[in-house]
Amino acid sequence: MSIRVRVNGVEQELDVDPEMPLLWALRDVLGLTGTKYGCGQALCGACSVHLDGQVVRACVTPIRRADGREVTTIEGLSPDGGHPLQRAWVELGVPQCGFCQSGQLMCAAALLAKKPQPTDADIDQSLAGNLCRCGTYTRIRAAVKKAAGVPDSK
Amino acid sequence: MASVVLLAGAGGCRRQPDSDATRWESLPPVDARDLRPLDVFQRIEDPAQRSRALFLETSRVYLHPRCSNCHPDGDSPYQDSGETLHNPPVTRGPEDKGVVGMECAGCHQEKNLELARVPGAPNWHVAPRSMSWVGKSPRELCEQLKDSKRNGGKTLEQLVEHNAHDELVAWGWAPGSGRQPAPGTQAQFGALVAAWVATGAQCPSEEARP
Amino acid sequence: MSQQPVVFTRRSFLEGLNLSVGGLALGLVPTVSAEAAAPGVKSAPELRPNVFVHVAADGLVTIVCHRSEMGQGIRSSMPVVVADELGADMARVKVVQAVGDAVYGDQNTDGSSSIRGVFQDLRRTGATARTMLVAAAAKRWKVKPEACEAREHAVYLRDGQRSLGFGELVADAVKLPVPKAEAVQLRPLSELRRVGSELPLLDGPAYVTGKAVFGADVKLPGMLIAVVARPPVVGGKVARFDATRALAIPGVKQVLELPPPHRPYLFQGWGGVAVLAENTWAAMRGRQALDITWENGPNESYDSEKYRVALLESVRAPGKPARSVGDVDKALASAARVVEAEYYAPHLSHAPMEPPVALARVAGGVCEVWAATQHPQAARTEAAKTAGLPEDKVTVNVTLLGGGFGRKSKADFVAEAVFLAKTAGVPVRVQWTREDDIRHDYYHSASAQKLSAGLDAQGKPTAWLHRTSFPAIRSTFSEDVTGPVARDLNQGVLDLALDIPNVRAEMGEALAKVRIGWLRSVNNIFHAYAVGSFMDELAHARGVDPRDNLLEVIGPARKVSVAELGVTTLPNYGAPVEAHPVDAGRLRRVIERVTEMSGWNERAKNGRTLGLAAHRSFLSYVGVVVSMTKDAVGKARVDEAWVVVDAGLVVNPDRVRSQMEGSVIFGMSLAMYGSITMKEGATEQSNFRDYRLVRIADAPRAIHVDIVRSEEAPGGVGEPGVPPVAPAIVNAIFALTGIRVRELPIIRTVPV
Repeated sequence: MSIRVRVNGVEQELDVDPEMPLLWALRDVLGLTGTKYGCGQALCGACSVHLDGQVVRACVTPIRRADGREVTTIEGLSPDGGHPLQRAWVELGVPQCGFCQSGQLMCAAALLAKKPQPTDADIDQSLAGNLCRCGTYTRIRAAVKKAAGVPDSK
Repeated sequence: MASVVLLAGAGGCRRQPDSDATRWESLPPVDARDLRPLDVFQRIEDPAQRSRALFLETSRVYLHPRCSNCHPDGDSPYQDSGETLHNPPVTRGPEDKGVVGMECAGCHQEKNLELARVPGAPNWHVAPRSMSWVGKSPRELCEQLKDSKRNGGKTLEQLVEHNAHDELVAWGWAPGSGRQPAPGTQAQFGALVAAWVATGAQCPSEEARP
Repeated sequence: MSQQPVVFTRRSFLEGLNLSVGGLALGLVPTVSAEAAAPGVKSAPELRPNVFVHVAADGLVTIVCHRSEMGQGIRSSMPVVVADELGADMARVKVVQAVGDAVYGDQNTDGSSSIRGVFQDLRRTGATARTMLVAAAAKRWKVKPEACEAREHAVYLRDGQRSLGFGELVADAVKLPVPKAEAVQLRPLSELRRVGSELPLLDGPAYVTGKAVFGADVKLPGMLIAVVARPPVVGGKVARFDATRALAIPGVKQVLELPPPHRPYLFQGWGGVAVLAENTWAAMRGRQALDITWENGPNESYDSEKYRVALLESVRAPGKPARSVGDVDKALASAARVVEAEYYAPHLSHAPMEPPVALARVAGGVCEVWAATQHPQAARTEAAKTAGLPEDKVTVNVTLLGGGFGRKSKADFVAEAVFLAKTAGVPVRVQWTREDDIRHDYYHSASAQKLSAGLDAQGKPTAWLHRTSFPAIRSTFSEDVTGPVARDLNQGVLDLALDIPNVRAEMGEALAKVRIGWLRSVNNIFHAYAVGSFMDELAHARGVDPRDNLLEVIGPARKVSVAELGVTTLPNYGAPVEAHPVDAGRLRRVIERVTEMSGWNERAKNGRTLGLAAHRSFLSYVGVVVSMTKDAVGKARVDEAWVVVDAGLVVNPDRVRSQMEGSVIFGMSLAMYGSITMKEGATEQSNFRDYRLVRIADAPRAIHVDIVRSEEAPGGVGEPGVPPVAPAIVNAIFALTGIRVRELPIIRTVPV
């Protein structure tokens, strides 16, 4: 089955198993390796991407669900790494190993698109599915608020 | 006492039988995985009594973790046997479909995923707050189901149709990945609900337990 | 120590790094240590520059990072030291990741050893390069070198009239003899402009744009992806298998059996059956479709619950002494009161966010590997053995690591990739799933401990007995290991400063039934948990404030001698005790500062429940205070945390702070939720659903980190923050609930 999907603004036609998770279509077929495999069961969020603007875990999303739709990955979040979240992440030194951060950023970007002035509770709820073993959570909160222009009270 | 046998058969409920239950001495025991067939209830002559008995039987489905986990008492659904909150943590959000970044549909597909163990069915979502079931007695649940303000705005006929044919409800009997399904089948459940409505949709007493 | 860098001219070496042969290439060759020079041990003849710097004719300075980057920020820290000594402009400094090669000395990125191990070498190499560039300029200007200074990527005449860029001096500098070590002057610390200042995160932009290359991000033409079905029990093997259904799945190309390991397990793979496919999805489905009958082997009897009971039993009886001062038996017998407690901590899994992954190509008599490895030389050795090639025909390229925590020091996954690539005849990437990672780890040791303290009539401690029992890491490498030996107690038992006249530490027997490995801070985890908890128990038993009790038991500020510790030698993380003594004063200072920062004295007035613990590990000292609250549903949560770290001289304070913040989260995960259990030899957990980690909503509102300003020799940073976290939490839970948690994880005893 041939699947047509727009990935980061580029039209793609994929001839793959329609049940193949979007994650493997992105990584193995399209070579977009910024989206990470962490658990394969939607438990860690490392594979978070946007499907028509909404966050999905690519590791459990069959590619057929993306047919005729628009996928945005970390590579497409901004043309030059200049998204306010990407800038805040670098300025506050959020990443440690960096592996989970593309997933964190994609969730945070969806949050800011919907709630430009998020509270700590909003951040904790929207990023609840993104594990970070290095433990960058407090900096993630600070960086989301910095990108949003919300003062950090701590 | 036959009612003791019945209680043990239905999964070891410890409550004392009430006056309704004593009328069911003729109801046969049933495995926790099954529902009693409809004709069994014909033995109860009084339609009101029969109606109450039918509801108690259906409450075994409503209050089964496969169903009640997503009719939670707070903002987060439960999982497994109902004692643990959904992991990763999710909140219902403004439309009971999760919050941004953690929408139900971000993980749950329209069918179960075998390798990923993620359960799925069409329109996966949490029941609205008004339809919370967790922690309710069968009687409280019964009253709630008859109240269109707390049953998703349904008439009793719509309720029957929903229970008998809704695809998300159907998931309760095919949850996948080794999860324990709701008792019986959806068809049996639908028929029991229909019979309950047809007998006047009576509610059991507060103490009554299946 | 006199160590002298040497000029590197070996073309193959330089070209391997893409460096010009005409540049100034300096590597530092450590003097052969006394241990290595012992009779019968051949010192390696080849050059071993554990620091390497290259200045090209265009002025570009290249610094080779020979340590693996796994989140500690080493690539952002090491180069700065060289650049500061050299006087280089960081904008013109490039960092290149080293391949696995003994030429770089020790590359095993564990033991929190990078900065503490090579700080002086980094400076000396930078200073030598500077001295040579300055000498070249002085010669050109016909002045004395003293009249010149190196800064901003150039050599300046001190009169300020003339300057020459580094690049312009390279051609002359390479013709000069390398100055003797004593002729090379290190800059005073005050002149190292960037060391200790706020430094940018080198790989930050790559991480946030998805461009950073991790283990699974390298692709080769014709490559297949392998997913392996491994025996559920370590040491088990395939009895028989049927690959028919797997091979029928579109995309699946081959199904291959891997050889089972022999004891001791070392870095061998687990064996099993691999499905090789065109993409990861097909390989995963293929594995699912395999029909395998396993033979579980001798470890099938392992039941971690029974093992827990046996370990606890073993610490109720005397063990082999590892540390002894005075007469503990007599002191306990004559004590007015004896306080005792037993503690248990379970196996843990590393669970780095990136599961193990390696890519190998074996063709034309050479083997190439790309791997997320902490230990590229072990990977090289294992690859060579597996490929049947000499090591110089094997190249191990080190990618960024999506976390390591000790897991990726082990080369088993590299061995699998090389075996499959060789057997299949195409490049193969072995992708571990999360289930593979959780079920086939080198697990952190389960442990039992018993602590006893004797108090005199005034409540003053007169005796301290610490028994510890756990399967030792060495059991993974040798067959005859029946439990810990004294050096395994280095971490938090032997090096514990105690102002008590009678002290003894003992160790019990414990046979390993799984592969035991080192996990971030290793044996310190359970030793600090038990000691830190017991200090608090002692305080409550004595009716003394826990901070005051802790300071009193540690005793006055002093450098504690091995005689006072009651040991003959102290392994001391490979460092000389003279340079890195057990310093009770430094331990006291982190306790004093962290309690001051957290408002310890005002906690009752402020309605806060705080817990305190402090620990020395990897030559650094860390004090932690946590504040616990109960949430709406009655679960205890860490609301706020304070960390004071004394790691000696610090190169990159922001990365030290981030390591401490991460240590709090890592410590919370293991303290509150972490547990791996085995039944019939197989791991019961499989993924993050049942191996729970701290999530963002569990994280404290704030983690405050204070770094003690120090010019002492650098200590470790990646690990020392972890050990005090669990006891601080347990002590705060006692303050909050009155419940003493003597078994980890806490969730078994108290809702968290």
